[in-house]
Amino acid sequence: MAKTVLIADDSASIRQVVGMTLKNAGYEVIEAEDGKDALSKLDGQKVHLVISDVNMPNMDGISFVKELKAQPANKFTPVIMLTTEAGEDKKQAGQMAGAKAWMVKPFQPAQMLDAVSKLVLP
Amino acid sequence: MELRPKKGKGAAGRYRLEGELTIYTANDDREALLKALDGPDELEWNLAGITEMDTAGAQLLILAKREAAAGTKTLVFTEHSAAAVEAIELLNLAGHLGDPLVLTGKEKTT
Amino acid sequence: MNMADALHTFLAESRALLQEMEEALLKLENDPADPDAVHAVFRAAHTIKGSAGLFGLDHIVDFTHEAESVLDRARGGEMALDDELTGLLLECSDHLGRLLDIAADGAEPDEDDAAHGAALTRRLAVYLERFGEGEQLPVETGAAEPRIDSAGPGPDGVENCAWHISLRFGRDVLRNGMDPMSFIRYLATFGEIVHVVTLPDAMPPAAEMDPECCYLGFEIRFRTDADKARIESAFDFVREDSAIRILPPGCRIGDYLELIESLPEDTTRLGEILVGCGAITPRELDEMLAIQEAQGGEKDEEGRPPLGEMFVQENVVQPEVVDAALARQKEVRGRQAQDSKFLRVHADKLDNLINLVGELVIANSGLGMLAARNKDGATMEAVSGVARLVEDIRDSTMRLRLVEIGETFNRFRRVVRDVSKETGKEIELVIQGGDTELDKTMVDRIGDPLTHLVRNAVDHGIEAAEVRAGRGKPAKGTVWLNAYHESGGIVIEVADDGGGLDQDAILAKAQARGVVAEGDELTDAQVWNLIFEPGFSTVDRVSNLSGRGVGMDVVKRAIEALRGTVGIESHAGRGTTFRIRLPLSMAIIDGFLMSVAAAHYVVPLELVLECVELPAGEGDADNRNYLNLRGEVLPLLRLKEHFALEGERTGRRRNVVVVQWAGRKAGLLVDELKGQLQAVIKPLGRVFSGLRGISGSTILGSGEVALVLDVPVLLEQAVQKEDYVAAQRIKSSRENVRVARTETADQ
Repeated sequence: MAKTVLIADDSASIRQVVGMTLKNAGYEVIEAEDGKDALSKLDGQKVHLVISDVNMPNMDGISFVKELKAQPANKFTPVIMLTTEAGEDKKQAGQMAGAKAWMVKPFQPAQMLDAVSKLVLP
Repeated sequence: MELRPKKGKGAAGRYRLEGELTIYTANDDREALLKALDGPDELEWNLAGITEMDTAGAQLLILAKREAAAGTKTLVFTEHSAAAVEAIELLNLAGHLGDPLVLTGKEKTT
Repeated sequence: MNMADALHTFLAESRALLQEMEEALLKLENDPADPDAVHAVFRAAHTIKGSAGLFGLDHIVDFTHEAESVLDRARGGEMALDDELTGLLLECSDHLGRLLDIAADGAEPDEDDAAHGAALTRRLAVYLERFGEGEQLPVETGAAEPRIDSAGPGPDGVENCAWHISLRFGRDVLRNGMDPMSFIRYLATFGEIVHVVTLPDAMPPAAEMDPECCYLGFEIRFRTDADKARIESAFDFVREDSAIRILPPGCRIGDYLELIESLPEDTTRLGEILVGCGAITPRELDEMLAIQEAQGGEKDEEGRPPLGEMFVQENVVQPEVVDAALARQKEVRGRQAQDSKFLRVHADKLDNLINLVGELVIANSGLGMLAARNKDGATMEAVSGVARLVEDIRDSTMRLRLVEIGETFNRFRRVVRDVSKETGKEIELVIQGGDTELDKTMVDRIGDPLTHLVRNAVDHGIEAAEVRAGRGKPAKGTVWLNAYHESGGIVIEVADDGGGLDQDAILAKAQARGVVAEGDELTDAQVWNLIFEPGFSTVDRVSNLSGRGVGMDVVKRAIEALRGTVGIESHAGRGTTFRIRLPLSMAIIDGFLMSVAAAHYVVPLELVLECVELPAGEGDADNRNYLNLRGEVLPLLRLKEHFALEGERTGRRRNVVVVQWAGRKAGLLVDELKGQLQAVIKPLGRVFSGLRGISGSTILGSGEVALVLDVPVLLEQAVQKEDYVAAQRIKSSRENVRVARTETADQ
């Protein structure tokens, strides 16, 4: 059974490229525009990994991860947070929310695939 | 994970483990498994129904073995499911746990 | 869907963002402080930069980076967006639009465009420099990129030779969603896992084992062409909390020695250590074991050449490696020998034993009373002999439950490390008196309150480094955990050398909450104690660390549930000490029995300072609530009145039992003194849980029930009696007169 990865990012192009890369590698991918959208698409179901941007409209990455981790099905779901060098302050808040893996934007698709495979293989 | 006691004569201490044995269920699983250790001196747990196993799950099996040994009981795991075999082989625990790994005829888990 | 489609999406998205950026910049020209507009500009630059990287549009990434840095400052309110800067950013936005057009054509920017971009970047850099931190900002984006494969094969590219990876993950790794198995699986994607040894040694007994914690360690032999950075990168996400050691193939002996010494396990056998280190292969170990068996000697370890020596003789490993492993094994054996002197006993069995000893104490004192009533001297003597033995048994039994508090203390090293990391403060934890023994139940239950106090000390107690420097203190803060015995109890101190409690803030808050009336005069201790009020916190900013919904009131209640007390000593600018006093054990105490109005009461003997007959006239005539004891004014608690007892007074005289706790003293006015006894404390039922001043009951040899007084609570109540407070004031003003009078009254 393929492993499911959810990507939440307000940039459609990032979603597309990451989604495409992961799908090609054999993952199921759920794309969401922001935290709110991600939560409604999850609907309490377990996913194997979540990739989330920090800065998003409606619901930012930190609040999203907090809510995600509060769901019984995703209490222990690994989260990769996307951030920029300018976002060190957010990193602390994110660590508290339960996002321990961080990736710096910009990144190459291959780097993303590599990071994902460390946590979950397809 | 659910612990189903086997029925019939001489079935005391024989259980079938059903479902996932992972970090998500680890707290409950620990309670259930430790409780199942209370019983006759010879225990047999059938792992054919394990659908998923991670490090937390493997850790619980190690714990169960150790606790059984501390209580001078023998605990045997049988009919490891594919998920159980994969985890045990990856962590090279077969020797540590000491049970022969035999794949069940058909994979009910995938 | 392919890359071209995605690029298309990126271009459309970026143009829309540029549009937004332009609108927002124009808005800022009218209202330079509009936070929404600043944020919109930042977000646009940020998103374009993030996405551009995916398509390898590095010139866009580089160019946007500078603008983003400036905008981040503006967003944080640290830099004003004046007309000049807004204008510059508009130019940047235009330039970005041009770069996007070029990317759409699949072309590279030409010289003119590059020069224009560089000029804009320089102008942006001026702003950053003016801000004074230009050079601190990361200029090249490459540095922050995730680690990837650097080109080329491993450092020596040796085939058939494996890396050695030693992994000890942080306890929370599983909770954080990181599964060690997935890292091992990942390694297998670019190499071959030759061998894995899983070490469960760190896993505690079932009762203490938290199934969500990771206790397993791993020793892995791994064959790959990749370099060390690539292997290391597998553990990028857990590197902070984990101990990861990677030894290249054909590593120097010194490195293996170091690894052996750093291994935490204590049951690893010599062979396993050597195999685990990759110093020898499992096959070589098997051969050695076979030869060893052939050379005879059943399981007699003394009579055959030691395993280690054989390894050297057979030239399998270098002597240094064996020496280190042998030393390590010797140490392990020594510890195992010690281990074997311990028995693991189920706590229930111990509790049962203690209950039985308790019953024995009661039965024996019944026998003693019977003998006394029959005036049977010989039996009385025999009973007292038994009593002595029972007392010894009791003490030994109680000692069985005592464990050293050191282990609990050591847990806090991690807490302090983590919290100081989170808060960015440099803090040292000093542990003293780790060998102080305490009842196991207490040790288990004191952990949480201590955690809270330690976190509190680190988070609120220790000041930020700049503040400390300003106060002339060392930049590194210190937190002390200290335990020692004191008058039949144990004292645990959590101290910090931080700023001390803010008396004014506490008072203000207490007044705001109506806990204290305006104009109330409070002693320091009373002020400090206010922080134990429910929902009390003087810190407005809820910190992630201590602000976990647990207040100091919970800490206090947890300690009181253990029949303990907690006190605070704080000095502004110098630090705060929380002092927890706990009784040594909870089940059996040496008590002092007394009676008031035909009711029996017991106080723990170690709290009784002295017993005196109530001097005629002293305190009796006017129902005063204080007493002069050799010039010292003590609060006097009349138990009959205090508990509203209706029974008749017994005995001709009235007596005062002076008790002491935590440096406070008070007199308890009772009728008769009955002397010492061993009291087996039974908890009161739930119905009486609200009763203040009584902590339990005990059954006397006669079958009657005596109540155990809760001295700390009584002391607190006694001190608060108004006329005692008044008397103390008078005393301090007329010290000499009083002393003179009481000296005569005392005789």
